[in-house]
Amino acid sequence: MADLALPAALATPAWLNPVSNAGQLPLPEALHRALNSAAHRERWKYTKAEAFLGATHAAANLPLINGARQPGIEVKQTAAPTPLVGFDLEQAPEAFARLCYASNILTIDVSAPTTEPLTLAHAANTVPILIRVAQHASLTLNEISDCGSDAQQTTWIDLAANAELRHSRNSLDTAGAHWQYLNVRLQRDSSYRLHNHVTGCRSRRQDVHIIMDGQGAEANLMSAGSVEGKSALDQQFTLEHRQPRGRSQQTIHNIVANGGKCTFNGRIHIHEGAAGTDAQLANKNLGMGEHATINSKPELEIYTDDVRCAHGATVGTISQDALFYLLSRGIDQNAAQALLSQGFLRQCIDGPLAESALETLIGGAFVDL
Amino acid sequence: MSLLDVSDLHASVVTDDQTQPILKGLNLAVAAGEVHAIMGPNGSGKSTLANVLSGRPGYQVDNGAATLDGTGLLELEPYERAQLGVFLAFPYPVEIPGVSNMEFLKASIDSLARARGDAQPNTAQFIRQVRELASSLDLDPAFLKRGVNEGFSGGEKKRNEIMQLLLLDPKLAVLDETDSGLDIDALKVVAAGVNRFRNASNGVVLITHYQRLLDYIVPDFVHVLSNGRIIESGDKNLALELEAKGYAWLT
Ligand SMILES: Nc1ncnc2c1ncn2[C@@H]1O[C@H](COP(=O)(O)OP(=O)(O)OP(=O)(O)O)[C@@H](O)[C@H]1O
Ligand SMILES: [Mg+2]
Repeated sequence: MADLALPAALATPAWLNPVSNAGQLPLPEALHRALNSAAHRERWKYTKAEAFLGATHAAANLPLINGARQPGIEVKQTAAPTPLVGFDLEQAPEAFARLCYASNILTIDVSAPTTEPLTLAHAANTVPILIRVAQHASLTLNEISDCGSDAQQTTWIDLAANAELRHSRNSLDTAGAHWQYLNVRLQRDSSYRLHNHVTGCRSRRQDVHIIMDGQGAEANLMSAGSVEGKSALDQQFTLEHRQPRGRSQQTIHNIVANGGKCTFNGRIHIHEGAAGTDAQLANKNLGMGEHATINSKPELEIYTDDVRCAHGATVGTISQDALFYLLSRGIDQNAAQALLSQGFLRQCIDGPLAESALETLIGGAFVDL
Repeated sequence: MSLLDVSDLHASVVTDDQTQPILKGLNLAVAAGEVHAIMGPNGSGKSTLANVLSGRPGYQVDNGAATLDGTGLLELEPYERAQLGVFLAFPYPVEIPGVSNMEFLKASIDSLARARGDAQPNTAQFIRQVRELASSLDLDPAFLKRGVNEGFSGGEKKRNEIMQLLLLDPKLAVLDETDSGLDIDALKVVAAGVNRFRNASNGVVLITHYQRLLDYIVPDFVHVLSNGRIIESGDKNLALELEAKGYAWLT
């Protein structure tokens, strides 16, 4: 296998110097090593990294922004970000490269509790985004990706102590090769909630890296996905508990039908000293029709006693008992199957973007009775 | 012609490694307006009868027939049997998270209406009707928004079955141990529901282990099912006799 390589020469940006890697390998070499490590190969086992890596320096636009004009929010374009804490070259060399190539990034600072949602609409490749929510500030963030062609989004979020972010993300277009990288760092007693609603596309890759970096932080991730026909979805979720008494809950339901290909990798890493951690992850996959390909891999690394951790992955078909219950009430086979598969996804659809997610993922059949 | 006619029914349960005969020549005729209680030892085939009549997968009919108003049931798909008027109240109703009770009931009533060529009920009216039914069975209408049977207690699940019975208004109700797991008050509520359902044109097959239920739902006939056959039939006094003597004297 040929080595993975960056698409264009990359100079170490000035902002990088304060970051931890300073003094070690020169940046291009460090990136080269990370890109070709065994761990990286494992993370990109089911999706070819080349295409995504090759597009990390492609021209990027700003997303369409709505809701920025309210007290407590400041949006600016900056040439260089301040150093990012919790930002991990080893874990995400592509995202790192994208940040280095970008001449502009979008910085969103939230300094107070906000009332209106902030909406980011991505219609194409968009610039890296950095969102910082200050102490005791709160934000409802809605992200809608509807890209007609290949696109990438890289987002770093830093939640200060007691900050709160409710994040909804709909990626329901079916074109192109789409990569979304999301990194969230939670400081003490902050809370983060993600409603992720997604379809497959030619190749969709979602990397989510959550870092519980302060005591008592709380993260709740829900994801509903539908991967149908000749489409693909690859989700790589990493959740690190670095500090005590964090709580995390992840529920990921994917339906894979008729030739769809779906990969979910859920890694929970509980560091030494993160006592009193409660980490739960449940990934359920429902295969329908012919030739669905489903890869689901749980990974657990626990270096502390005194934790509660549950990690489950299932791959199955529709429950025959549930199906019979519906049939016995006069509902025909097709309608019963549709109800059950809709119900399976609906368990993970919620938040401000739920309606359009229900529409796309479940179809018009939704009746709010 | 009876409402339900089961004649010489032989059926087996099919598992991965074997086919085991359970029903061995069962005859039962339920006329419109009648309630038939079926009692009998554990494992005698009572639930198998209910499952075979409603078309549950995993059973094989080896011989015999079952008709509802003269139409053969055993060839039909489960949903077709329901559309024809068969209703099974499950002993262990399944939980279906993500599908709300209300949505499920609407899908069911719409399917039945479509199959019978009736107009689909007006949604607002339908919701009102379901709420009223729920209240009449001491079920909190808030339950209707939850997933089907999701997080319901055993007794609440049973009441939900009776609510469906009243809503769907089938020709034949087969109630499999609907009384088990109910507290004393709930038993009365459920029995009152079944009595409300009863009329001159429908029929009830009531599978139970407890004579007590038959004080509230007075049966026209009581049958004892043992080893796949009905070995004794009588009126409600048979249940009292069984209560006193057990089954051994019959077998
Ligand atoms: N799905 C199944 N798989 C294996 N065996 C079965 C199945 N269904 C029924 N049986 C067997 O068939 C026999 C009859 O069972 P059935 O459930 O009809 O009895 P029952 O009369 O309803 O008993 P109970 O009073 O305990 O409810 C039992 O021996 C049971 O183990
Ligand atoms: Mg039984």
